[in-house]
Amino acid sequence: MDRLLNIDRRIIFIFVLLGVAIPLLIDIHLPIKPTPTVRAVYDEIERVSIEDPDRPVLVSFSYGASTMPEMEPMTRSILHHLFSRGRKVVGICLWPEAVGLAQPIMDELAAEFGMKYGTDYAFLGYKPGAQAVVLNLGQSMAGTFPFDTAGTPVGDLPILAKVQNLKDFSFVFDFAAGDSMEFWWIPYGQEKHRFPFAGGCTAVMAPDLYPFLQSRQLVGLLGGLAGAAEYEALIGVSGSATSGMEPQSVTHVIIILFILLGNTVYFTTRRRGGKA
Amino acid sequence: MTRDSYVFVGFLALFALVNTILVANGALSLDWDGLGVIVAAGCTLALYSFLYKDNPLFKFAEHVYVGVAAAYVFGITWYNSLYGEIIVSYFDIGEKGANGGGHNPWVLLFPTLLGLLMLTRFSRKFSWLSRISFAFVVGVGAGLTIPRYLSSFLLGQLEPSLAPLTLSWAGLNLFLVLVGVITVLIYFFFSVEHTGVVGHASRLGIWFLMVSFGASFGYTIMARLSLLIGRISFLMDDWLHLM
Amino acid sequence: MLFLTRTLPFLFCFVFGMTGWVIYYVPHEWAQTVEREIALWLRLVYAFAYFLGLFSLLSLHWSKIRQRQAGWAYSLIVYISFGVMTLFVVYNDGHGPFAAQATTGPYQWMFTSVHVASSATMFSMLAFFISSAAYRTFRARTPEAAILLVSAIIVMLGRVPIGAYISDIIPDTMQWLMSVPNMAAKRGILLGVSLGAIATSLRIIFGIERSYLGGGD
Repeated sequence: MDRLLNIDRRIIFIFVLLGVAIPLLIDIHLPIKPTPTVRAVYDEIERVSIEDPDRPVLVSFSYGASTMPEMEPMTRSILHHLFSRGRKVVGICLWPEAVGLAQPIMDELAAEFGMKYGTDYAFLGYKPGAQAVVLNLGQSMAGTFPFDTAGTPVGDLPILAKVQNLKDFSFVFDFAAGDSMEFWWIPYGQEKHRFPFAGGCTAVMAPDLYPFLQSRQLVGLLGGLAGAAEYEALIGVSGSATSGMEPQSVTHVIIILFILLGNTVYFTTRRRGGKA
Repeated sequence: MTRDSYVFVGFLALFALVNTILVANGALSLDWDGLGVIVAAGCTLALYSFLYKDNPLFKFAEHVYVGVAAAYVFGITWYNSLYGEIIVSYFDIGEKGANGGGHNPWVLLFPTLLGLLMLTRFSRKFSWLSRISFAFVVGVGAGLTIPRYLSSFLLGQLEPSLAPLTLSWAGLNLFLVLVGVITVLIYFFFSVEHTGVVGHASRLGIWFLMVSFGASFGYTIMARLSLLIGRISFLMDDWLHLM
Repeated sequence: MLFLTRTLPFLFCFVFGMTGWVIYYVPHEWAQTVEREIALWLRLVYAFAYFLGLFSLLSLHWSKIRQRQAGWAYSLIVYISFGVMTLFVVYNDGHGPFAAQATTGPYQWMFTSVHVASSATMFSMLAFFISSAAYRTFRARTPEAAILLVSAIIVMLGRVPIGAYISDIIPDTMQWLMSVPNMAAKRGILLGVSLGAIATSLRIIFGIERSYLGGGD
């Protein structure tokens, strides 16, 4: 029994690896059912598309390469939904790596939906300062991002012609790998300007954000790859998050079985008076 | 040669062979895109080799990554902020300078000075000057925090906790939330001895916390596996074209 | 000298801290202007802070190289890769350093092929270690640990499609766990953290907490 508890960790590694690799090759197909927090984001974008179609939407990319497999699918889903409804979108980055990750996705999806740069969408790049950037955005858009990444003054971008500050956006969405939603956007932006605010975050961050859902400081939330997969289901696109749910399910079961096995061996050994 | 050396050389030979086959059968193109996929796959596998054991290949890839990451952030900071916001505004470069939408250069003098003072940290003789910059950052940060945390977190979170209760399932949940918040706060309140009623309440608070930690653990597992799925998908699809 | 090294920084902290705090409650236009400028200054100073981190990293590896410490050759690799990438940063796909940042070229290629791949891989390795750790240490030794374990299992099953495939009760229970007990606990923690942050901020502004000044004169 003790030997079972002290197996080479590489055996567990192989199980996890196979649990990911095999379902990627075999189509298991498990139905994906959107949860209320994800559906709330979808409904909010639908609502602003009907009730507030003229004002642009602000999307903030606060993630880096380390969390890309989780964040990229939700970036694609949200931008797909926004562009498909003809929403004008302004992108900014609060994490430096996000520039190289988000801009190609935004350009690609904008091209897919025939959106024109400057008029229908814009990408303003990165500014250091975290919460100071959000605070500054609440006071002056042009004062925070004087130029876009191509060096064009924001005053020359038609999409921002009527935008003075955060109040002039119909909806703000943050893609967060860290605590940018909780500690930057809510206290330094949403608290004062009361714009509809939602976000997509890594699964690690998701449980911490539930208090803000109940207080309505957050309209909705996409948590991790599962949140992205649910959003893909809502917009009718089968992307990398949807295909990722099969290995995700299998590996979760494998880890649960390992935990149960570990406990079974532990309690069996203890009952026999052994050490574990 | 030790067994590990054989494994190391064998791994490199296999990687080279696989890439040769992929290029030969046209799965990977012989251009910068194809080379990019090979390099990315090489970095991925070299780092995963740590799962077998710590080895020179892992250390090599790890240190290449550190150097590239440091320079990448330098580039982003330079083009988006130092040059793209400060230098451009000072020197009024072309249409993109102060008149084209940049900042008033006089306004930038103070933060530029503070930023430069921060760099005196590198000097033993003048490092005390950097304290002025740190004092500014810490002081402003503290001042901005107080009213916003009061409003967003204390008032913003207390209000929904004290919502009116009703005789319904939603009302029961609201009651449980109220009980949970109070008992968790009692658990963290160490000025009173945790015995008697306070002890029971504190114990209940621990149970709420345990549910929360369990949820966080479950979500953390999910997050890490999602990242793994991303990398394995890259190897199997973009590199090996198996999917 | 003591005035310059300790009193002046404290005065800076106090004046700017109080300004940042008080102007929140003043809706007048000039107060908003002051707040805007302070926020601008703060984020520009942050940009310079990057160099502190860079200097720290490079000096650490330089000392390893100079002292020929074990593994110094790897530190040399840090310098080489940093140097190569910096060249690409300056080259900026032929536009040079005094132009808008190019979105193509060797800089972007290195970012995608080396940086993104390595960064994503590094963090994905935690999947293996967290699985192994869960098997070895996740034990229902006490009632509290049992609650934690059950909660984790429900969340792990309920958050992925296989949970609903087994039974609809699993995702529903997961949703309730997240929205009620988890939310209550997180809110309790958040209230505690906020009170702590406010208290620390007050201590900083009034000079009771001065550890940010570092040691010495």
